[in-house]
Amino acid sequence: MSTLAPIICDNGTGYSKVGYALKLYSVFPTAIATRGPASQPSRAPPLPSKPGHLASKRGVEDLDFFIGDEALANARTPGYGVHYPIRHGMIDNWDHMERYWEQTIFKYLRAEPEDHYFLLTEPPLNPPENREQTAEIFFESFNIKGIYIRSSWSSNRVTDRTLTGTVIDSGDGVTHVIPCAEGYVIGSAIKHIPIAGRDITKFVLDLMRERGETTAIPPEDALRVAGRVKENYSYVCQDLVAEFRKYDVDPYKYFQRYDGENSVTKQKYSVDVGYERFLAPEIFFNPEIYSSDFLTPLPIVVDDVIQQSPIDVRRGLYKNIVLSGGSTMFQHFGARLKRDLKQIVDRRLDASALASGSVLKSSGVDVEVISHKRQRYAVWFGGSLLASLPEFYTSCHTKAQYDEIGPSICRRYQIFGSAT
Amino acid sequence: MSNVLRPYLAAVRSTLTAALTLENFSSQVVERHNKPEVEAAGSKEVLLNPLIISRNENERVLIEPSINSIRLSIKIKQADEIERILCHKFTRFMMQRAESFIVLRRKPVPGYDISFLITNTHSETMLKHKIVDFIIQFMEEVDREISEMKLSLNARARIVAESYLTAIST
Amino acid sequence: MILLEPHNVIIQTTLGEKIIKPSSLDVAFVDYDGVRFHLSTPERKTLLLLSMHIRCWDELVKYGALGGIAARLKPEYNVSLAIDLEQVPAGPEDREAFILSVALFKRNALAAPFESAFKSQKQLESSASGQGELMQIHYRDEEAIYVQSSPDRVTVIFSTIFSDETDRIYGKVFLQEFVDARRQPAIQNAPQVLYSNRDPPLEIRHLKQSTQYRRYGIRHLCPLPSALYRCQRCRYHLAHTAVRDYLHYHIKCSKAYMHSRMRYRVAEFQKVLNRAKQEVATTERKTVTGRTMSTR
Repeated sequence: MSTLAPIICDNGTGYSKVGYALKLYSVFPTAIATRGPASQPSRAPPLPSKPGHLASKRGVEDLDFFIGDEALANARTPGYGVHYPIRHGMIDNWDHMERYWEQTIFKYLRAEPEDHYFLLTEPPLNPPENREQTAEIFFESFNIKGIYIRSSWSSNRVTDRTLTGTVIDSGDGVTHVIPCAEGYVIGSAIKHIPIAGRDITKFVLDLMRERGETTAIPPEDALRVAGRVKENYSYVCQDLVAEFRKYDVDPYKYFQRYDGENSVTKQKYSVDVGYERFLAPEIFFNPEIYSSDFLTPLPIVVDDVIQQSPIDVRRGLYKNIVLSGGSTMFQHFGARLKRDLKQIVDRRLDASALASGSVLKSSGVDVEVISHKRQRYAVWFGGSLLASLPEFYTSCHTKAQYDEIGPSICRRYQIFGSAT
Repeated sequence: MSNVLRPYLAAVRSTLTAALTLENFSSQVVERHNKPEVEAAGSKEVLLNPLIISRNENERVLIEPSINSIRLSIKIKQADEIERILCHKFTRFMMQRAESFIVLRRKPVPGYDISFLITNTHSETMLKHKIVDFIIQFMEEVDREISEMKLSLNARARIVAESYLTAIST
Repeated sequence: MILLEPHNVIIQTTLGEKIIKPSSLDVAFVDYDGVRFHLSTPERKTLLLLSMHIRCWDELVKYGALGGIAARLKPEYNVSLAIDLEQVPAGPEDREAFILSVALFKRNALAAPFESAFKSQKQLESSASGQGELMQIHYRDEEAIYVQSSPDRVTVIFSTIFSDETDRIYGKVFLQEFVDARRQPAIQNAPQVLYSNRDPPLEIRHLKQSTQYRRYGIRHLCPLPSALYRCQRCRYHLAHTAVRDYLHYHIKCSKAYMHSRMRYRVAEFQKVLNRAKQEVATTERKTVTGRTMSTR
């Protein structure tokens, strides 16, 4: 049989992006609805009942579950509870994750895993034990042909074909700032920011609640409405104060209306969308408006990360800042980040010029923030580009190697284009 | 605990308790090294006589004491090839996580399914009788777990076959 | 999900979306048994071209697939369906049915040999002698389906390989249950199932390559005439073509289930071992001013 297209799975905190190399992707929430209440912690797997006839379907309860959109649709069905197996980018519940993959492969992709190679992504600084467990599941349960697990940062790298750059990856659960030099990640300089898509949604909801808009929205839909508002109406402003003034002078021009429908009673309602349009993404730049624990704005974090990297790659890191993930999709996000970062850099250059007594003058540092049209699923596309290269198959760890050595083979992967 | 199993486990318990008299012992060969002598097997005088407690030809325990460490290997009952594969899967799954089971060895001694290595550091930092309890409980439950796994596999197979045949015969 | 769905979800959802909102498209995806699909809009947005590559296409054509399908060949693919989105049925139910029928494309193609076997069985029954042609469908590289009709029954033989030792043993348990399950009163009408993992069954023993079947688990479903008439035909094909995937799917699910059991058990053992750890008293020592003392 000719080799079938490899499968790329990018399981994120909020959404999973899966598909075959280059051609198709489908996106659905990383959620699993299983029998039993959501709050119940992992309990003993049910013991098999006496083998009886179909009337008692006991013994295969673990097949009774839904994933993705179906899971959310079944959230209110009595007897089912929705779980999110990934937290902050890392797999939290392996039992659920294994079943999630099982149904992804067999129901949505309809692939016989024995015929395919897989490419999975992992968050930066993922402990190697997690990789081993993933490999264990894929090789032992699914007998796949081969696997390649890569961090999301390096997937990005392939998209723009440069080896040095800073990746800002902001998804639903976590935001990372990752410097890469010549294809290698500078692990010591990676920074996490505890603000990501989910926080923005919550913030939008809070703002709307304060203004009293949420009375019209059924409580169970509130978070979803806030998510819609965030995705469809938000943008990054140039100046917070000026923007507020603009809204106050002419609210009718800037306030917009969101029309929704109650998912249960089918009643129509509509709410005003106001300041949250520009305030929501603002929490990246002025985190103090949302959280009291984390107060460093994103541009400063990025600057810190680059300053902690080796001095000879810093220019390259400033010049190639790549955005990735759904929470960087706000309008003008890149432009604002570039402006703020440029200010920080210029201020530092001026200060050093002054300190040298205006003898030494820097030629300036280029700051470039790169947005591209596949930004939202950049990790998936990066992965799929990679999986379509002929070298992909040689870089994979195969089932034979796994059987020979064990899960520890997944501790190391060859980086594409580098010497072995 | 079933009555048939009790004398066997009692024998293992008392032997293990007796063997767990470990002391800090530096290597005789290399200065400033301290190795589990049962693994290093460098000199004969620090090794004690190994001992096999066997219940039948399929189930036995090998205890190898030495001055500062003791190695205990278990051969788990495997009646047929299903139990054999389940036992293999289970022990491998556990040994994969040996990091968190401090006393577990990553590989079994040849001829056995799973091995534990207890050194004097373990017996000093942990309660000795509780370590013994752990080993005994493991032996007790692993048999039961494997036979339950086998039962559930059969039950699943039956349900799967039935639902398939029902689907095509109605 | 106990039974696998016979239709392809990707075709179903994509088609559903495109009927509502046509746009240009170029996607490739697969189905079980190494079937490759390609969905594209080569000429205009409302004309979808669904191409399928299936390994045993030539054999299927020989046994009468292609009934009423207008084949339009595309390189690398065996058969193509052109779907004009402007002419799909308008009613929501008709539309659903139409989409489903397209999504069942692969299954319907594979059902062809079964159709012809049932037809010839009827003829043989009236003449009460002779045997139908032994049809071979090599649907995977080393695995095949054999269908033969005789006056009193249609014999279907599946050969499958378990690449992994664990799978082989699990597979044996599952196959044994297939044989035993028929003892249940409620499913006595189901066709009889036999399996062997050593010698190939009599019907295919004369084939040249039969020696290589020694490694395989082989099963045959021999529907008796009484059973045959009682069951709906389409369901029959449905189940038959998916039997291999069904078996492999459940073996994998069982392994996943075993993993979750083992995870639980290992965590329990971990708790027992943790009891052995001594509690080290770690009380925080504070100075008068309330600062924590730390030992170096």
